[in-house]
Amino acid sequence: MNKPSTQQAILVYTLLGIALIVFMTPIYLIASSSVKPSPIMFQKPPAMIFEPTLDHYRDLFAMRPFGKFIGNSLMVALGSTAFSVFFGSIAAYAISRIKHKRMNDVAFWILSMRMFPPIAVVVPYYIIFKTVGLLDTPIALIIVYSTANIPLTVWLMKGFFDEVPTALEEAAAVDGHGLISIFWKVTLPLAAPGLAVSAVFCFIFSWNEFLFALMLTGSNAQTAPVAVMSFWSSDAVQWGRIMAGSFVILIPGVVFVLTCQRWLVRGLTMGSVK
Amino acid sequence: MAYIRKRNRSIFLIFLLPAILVLFLTTIYPMLYAGYLSFRSYDLAKPFVPRVFVGLSNYQNVLTTGDFLHALKITFQLMAITLSIQLFIGVGLALLVTQRLPGMSIARTLLLIPMMISPVIVGLVWLFLYFPELGYLNYFLSYIGIGPISWITSPDWALWAIAIADIWQWTPFIMMGTAAALTSLSPEPYEAAKIDGNTRWQVFRYVTLPQLKPVLVSLLFLRAIDAFKIYDIIFVLTKGGPGDSTEVLSLYIYRQSFTFWQMGVGAAASFVSLIIIVVLITFFFKSLNRDPMQS
Amino acid sequence: MSEITLRNVIKRYGAVEVVHGIDLDVEEGEFVVLLGPSGCGKTTTLRMVAGLEDVSDGNLSIGETRVNEVAPKDRGVAMVFQNYALYPHMTVRQNMEFALKPLGLSAKEVARRVDEIANMLGLSELMARRPAQLSGGQRQRVAMGRAMVRTPDVFLFDEPLSNLDAKLRTQVRLEIAKLHNRLGTTVLYVTHDQVEAMTLADKIVIMRDGHIEQVGTPEQVYSQPDNMFVATFIGSPPMNMIPAQVRERELQANGLALKVPPRFEGRLAEGQSVTIGIRPNGLSLAGAEMPNAAPARVEVTEYLGNEALLDLRVGPHELIAEVPALGRPAPGTEISVQFDPDAIHLFDTETGASLSR
Repeated sequence: MNKPSTQQAILVYTLLGIALIVFMTPIYLIASSSVKPSPIMFQKPPAMIFEPTLDHYRDLFAMRPFGKFIGNSLMVALGSTAFSVFFGSIAAYAISRIKHKRMNDVAFWILSMRMFPPIAVVVPYYIIFKTVGLLDTPIALIIVYSTANIPLTVWLMKGFFDEVPTALEEAAAVDGHGLISIFWKVTLPLAAPGLAVSAVFCFIFSWNEFLFALMLTGSNAQTAPVAVMSFWSSDAVQWGRIMAGSFVILIPGVVFVLTCQRWLVRGLTMGSVK
Repeated sequence: MAYIRKRNRSIFLIFLLPAILVLFLTTIYPMLYAGYLSFRSYDLAKPFVPRVFVGLSNYQNVLTTGDFLHALKITFQLMAITLSIQLFIGVGLALLVTQRLPGMSIARTLLLIPMMISPVIVGLVWLFLYFPELGYLNYFLSYIGIGPISWITSPDWALWAIAIADIWQWTPFIMMGTAAALTSLSPEPYEAAKIDGNTRWQVFRYVTLPQLKPVLVSLLFLRAIDAFKIYDIIFVLTKGGPGDSTEVLSLYIYRQSFTFWQMGVGAAASFVSLIIIVVLITFFFKSLNRDPMQS
Repeated sequence: MSEITLRNVIKRYGAVEVVHGIDLDVEEGEFVVLLGPSGCGKTTTLRMVAGLEDVSDGNLSIGETRVNEVAPKDRGVAMVFQNYALYPHMTVRQNMEFALKPLGLSAKEVARRVDEIANMLGLSELMARRPAQLSGGQRQRVAMGRAMVRTPDVFLFDEPLSNLDAKLRTQVRLEIAKLHNRLGTTVLYVTHDQVEAMTLADKIVIMRDGHIEQVGTPEQVYSQPDNMFVATFIGSPPMNMIPAQVRERELQANGLALKVPPRFEGRLAEGQSVTIGIRPNGLSLAGAEMPNAAPARVEVTEYLGNEALLDLRVGPHELIAEVPALGRPAPGTEISVQFDPDAIHLFDTETGASLSR
């Protein structure tokens, strides 16, 4: 794989340029429309230079309780992340260290839990949460999101724990440390990047989720994506407001891509790509 | 490790238990409940009517009325369209961003952004682009002599509109996985092929592609599993319409359960879809052909 | 107090037995090296002594106590691991302190012990560094320091030098020998490198396929190997082995006939199949008419400085001879090679056992 020749380089840059324009335009549209005055929202050709306005954001946060929905989203995402990372990590440690031929099946089972279609279980969830009075509470969403987040954490953290050399744990055991002490002082600090990556994935998943949030919450525990969607169905379409809300929602994901893209492969491909 | 394992078996089980318990309560139990519902007549709009056991009639309803099969057909149609185009463009982009040229890692990073965006937002921004009369997409396309297309209001185009949004969001996924696999390939076969004087196409066809195949198969299964569950984008863009032209399985279940309040029918359809997804998941794990938890 | 005794110790993994009932005594203060090719069970044996692997059967004692069921931390052992097993997220000082934590000592006592050992090993300047900031040799010393702060009764070393380059290995080997002289702690040391074993050990235990092949001082295993395996495993280049038959007080091999050395008189039966073993330095260049000489053809010569190695062909046999480099014959020359009768070992071809005893 040598360096491409000049002609090849030109071809590569041209094709990539087209791809970047196609893939970046929608994101640019969200950002620009969120600060575009409503009258020129659909002006053609699109106004590239205009006086940006914060009206839509003001409308979003001052006139409407969007701050509350963001708060709900944060609470649900952070709650589910903390819950999933804690229980997922210790489970991953057990799976990583127990050498038993059935352990693989347990791992398979846990991983497959993440892949089931949400729509197939949303009705039972609805009925169950309604019965126990948790409908339209953040707790319901924290529990539901953990269903997807725990398998993800287990799977990611197992990989990280597998990479901690067992000799380190044995050295600590010979020196007289118990398992909890070994796990807490030796293994976990060494798998710290894994904790960070798992936490970020759990957070983004919970933050972005729509279907469960739509079905299981009402006015009280509604999350930001559902709220933004509701701007659409209300009397007149307020694109400026929708785009401002969308922009706020897409920030964490974009920050994540820009800061830790090297972990994306691991997190998203379930081990099918190293 | 043997020592640590043996002395601490009970601690390991305590570590494992909460996760298993949570997953059992949040997946197995609801599925069993869905199974239970699927044999009952349960109208959510009439909460005081007892949930009568109706045998297989919900399944009969699902499998014999055309709606479910239609939804299944649309689901697989959409899957076929999106997967093939994502594969084609994704591999192409991967080949581009793995060239040894300056700026490639920035391009790669930027191209990953769509994946991390909430599907609702993806739906909304594409709705903005497709919007009848006002949307920018037809305006852009008019420059290259295409259009105007009634993206979401015409039954002929609605599925394509959804496919394009999905392709936009998930092509980066194929690119990312393929690029990662490409960079991990050993350079030696390429050097050998170069010395032997093979053309670039021959090298790609006979050296690169066979080595990528297992990764591509796994990536496609992951995409297929996701495509089978597609809901959010369609919910935003067309809600299954116009007519039933974009009513995929998830939308069908949604409609049965929450528009017609036929929870039993919805549950039966859910169960059938669970069976299909289990098959897909099994194929995915088989495609890994190794310890699925090994990273 | 700190002698180690193994009696019929067996290790099984499921149905597979990897250590087959070995007996071994390590005296107090002794430096014992377990030596053998990879997969011979030496590391497994060490790990059983450490308590990291269970003993499947037999008795393992340290001092007077049977320790089969005793936890590693209560065995009074400290271990230096092959890759050192330093905690990468802790400084050198923290690494050493962490080893003392379970003892529940006062902070002052911990600091005193750590500093004492650090001084002894010349680590004082490095205490604030992390393992990643240390060279291979320094890491090795930290690993030893971490083991030493616990003032164990027994030191266990698992191939501690295998990750060092050749020069450093020699240097650290010397340091280990010095430390042992100074501390006098019992040491059990695993290696596959015979030079390490020969230079460090009071006693070498040679293992193969989960059996002990020979236990002895470095001199014993070199000059009186119990069997063909030990004979060829110890020494470099390895001992030449020539299958032969006893006929009329001669050892007859194809194209070669040697007189049975007097010390084997009466121990050999007529027609017995034996294997002649002779180290390369037991072969020398000679005139054709000397006794115990055979015509040979020089195929390759390897110049080593003082000596040269000759690859010889004697009839169908390929032999290596070590001769003074000065005046070595050129490749292709026909020479006569003499077998020093005192350097000849004889082994039973069937059993591999030495016939010298």
